[in-house]
Amino acid sequence: MTVAGFQIPDRRVAWRWARENLFDGSWNTALTVGMVVLIGVALYGVGNFVFASAEWEAITANRKLFFIGAYPRDEAWRIWAVIYVLAGLGGLSWALWSRISPLLAIGGAIAMIPVFVFMAHGEVALLTLGSLAAFGGGYAFGKTPALSGRYRNTARTVAVFLWIASLPFSWVLLDGVPTRLWGGLLLTMVLTVFGITIAFPFGVLLALGRASTFPVIRLFCVGFIEIVRGVPLITILFMAFFLLPLAIGPERTILFGIPVTGVDTATVQRALAGIVIFAAAYLAEIVRGGLQAVPRGQTEAAKALGLNTFHILGFIVLPQALRAVIPALVGQFISLFKDTSLVLVLALTDLLGAARQVSAQPDFIGRQAETLLFIALIYWIVAFNMSRASQQIEKNLGVGER
Amino acid sequence: MTQDQMSGRDGEKRVGTRNIIEARDVEKWFGDFQALRGITMSVKEREVVVIMGPSGSGKSTFIRTINRLEEHDKGTIIVDGVELNNDLKNLEKIRSEVGMVFQQFNLFPHLTVERNITLALSHVRHFKKADAHDMAMRLLERVGIPEQVDKYPAQLSGGQQQRVAIARALAMQPKIMLFDEPTSALDPEMIHEVLDVMRELAETGMTMIVVTHEMGFAREAADRFFFFDEGVIVEEGTPEHFFTNPQEERTKLFLSQIL
Ligand SMILES: Nc1ncnc2c1ncn2[C@@H]1O[C@H](COP(=O)(O)OP(=O)(O)O)[C@@H](O)[C@H]1O
Ligand SMILES: [Mg+2]
Repeated sequence: MTVAGFQIPDRRVAWRWARENLFDGSWNTALTVGMVVLIGVALYGVGNFVFASAEWEAITANRKLFFIGAYPRDEAWRIWAVIYVLAGLGGLSWALWSRISPLLAIGGAIAMIPVFVFMAHGEVALLTLGSLAAFGGGYAFGKTPALSGRYRNTARTVAVFLWIASLPFSWVLLDGVPTRLWGGLLLTMVLTVFGITIAFPFGVLLALGRASTFPVIRLFCVGFIEIVRGVPLITILFMAFFLLPLAIGPERTILFGIPVTGVDTATVQRALAGIVIFAAAYLAEIVRGGLQAVPRGQTEAAKALGLNTFHILGFIVLPQALRAVIPALVGQFISLFKDTSLVLVLALTDLLGAARQVSAQPDFIGRQAETLLFIALIYWIVAFNMSRASQQIEKNLGVGER
Repeated sequence: MTQDQMSGRDGEKRVGTRNIIEARDVEKWFGDFQALRGITMSVKEREVVVIMGPSGSGKSTFIRTINRLEEHDKGTIIVDGVELNNDLKNLEKIRSEVGMVFQQFNLFPHLTVERNITLALSHVRHFKKADAHDMAMRLLERVGIPEQVDKYPAQLSGGQQQRVAIARALAMQPKIMLFDEPTSALDPEMIHEVLDVMRELAETGMTMIVVTHEMGFAREAADRFFFFDEGVIVEEGTPEHFFTNPQEERTKLFLSQIL
């Protein structure tokens, strides 16, 4: 049976395929049977653990620790405010640049069910529902006739500015609580998102500097990139922790709107500085690849029109270079998201730190399997969605590309 | 203008008396390799000059020195009264007055046809959006593809892309147009649509330097003809001179190969 060129194997075909590939000869038959048994045992083991012997108490009793660490409950409204703003903005942007297919909406709704069953109870459930409503509201607003029609381009520009503004806004709001109390998924997300977004412009500048015709600039950029890439992140984190205060001084110093040092509260900021340095070097190499992928004829055509260097970079070279490396950029984003778990060495309680704390609690001593499985699931959910989002962005931007 | 002499085979277009391009003893090295070995050429207003010559003879390098995509190492180049050198303050302004069309089109693939044409209008000429749009539409009509305004370059045929590239260059209202083998990357059936646009442009009195091996175009549109080889001008003259009575052995050999 063929539908539009696709073979749909019926039972006979499947059986023949199995016979030719799985059971051709006694050696392959033995292998197949052996593997089936092994997989079965493994599945049984995991299933038995997850559904029978595991004490998920360790998770449910520590929900707050996993998600926000020591952030005080009374101040949690700050986090919710940030979530609401980002959810609304996310819905708006989704509407402005794309649309949500019914399939995706249904899938998303189904995916939310376990969240409400296992994670969000009481007021948290209400607040979570509220943030979904904020997303929907933003989406509906973006789909109003005015915004999806006449004012679409203006709305898109405004949305981009709102996203940029949302970063300092979020930080200031969250910063009402000393950063040493931040933890769990909150801390992981803060380190990742701020790390990447602050590092990004530096990465682009480093990549451009590396391609510069001024030897001093080029040498500095090459030196920075190669030195940072030659040192493990964990070392950079330690250096940021111990050397940065020496370099910048012990007083409270403001860098890019973020207080970087100042007595004992600054561990998160120092870790962030280390992550920024690390990410900038890697992003620079990715962007460099993108710059090299833009044919020389593009710059020449732009020059021939009388465009100046900044116009050429901003309108011709960077848009093409960055578009070409979106998958690599998202890959870097995802790997940084996971790498932030190294801040554990600075005694910060990120997602991994939370897991370790829980398995040290008297009630849950030795419950590593549960906690690690749980955070692995969270890491996976976030990373998976990032990767899906990147494919979506690529598709949306891909219009008219070669 | 009263001083202008009649020229061109059809006798309609008037070639000016003023040299809008003056190149004297231009030399260019790429490392140890000398690509231009003393090129002297002047081009008058509204003149159409065709350059031919074997591959690697320095044709591209020479016309690229005229909008300073290549910096020459020796000699002088004066474009519309401005000498090109490193002291030049306003290179962008000079460049915006010299349009260039490339063999590979070099359209901006991430921008629509309209944006390709209006980008420099907005940011170099500071046109308002509506004015830039009008200009783009006018030029697209002139090159015969107004209906393609919202497409992306990849959605067009080669001939259409090259016509957009010509429209893009013309949008800056250049005084001079440089063409570097504009039809060499095209399928044969698309060559004529680009040549038609160029012929029409020549008739309206645009100053043009065209590197091409299209004999038909050269015969009809060229006022003067240059033959390059190994970085020097081997022979120059009117098209008749070339087609009926070339003097140099190298010219004869080359012409016999491509005719
Ligand atoms: N950027 C460059 N670097 C080194 N050599 C070059 C460069 N551009 C051109 N050349 C050399 O200069 C010579 C003339 O090139 P070009 O002007 O492109 O020739 P044409 O256009 O007549 O085919 C060739 O031998 C070519 O290899
Ligand atoms: Mg050439």
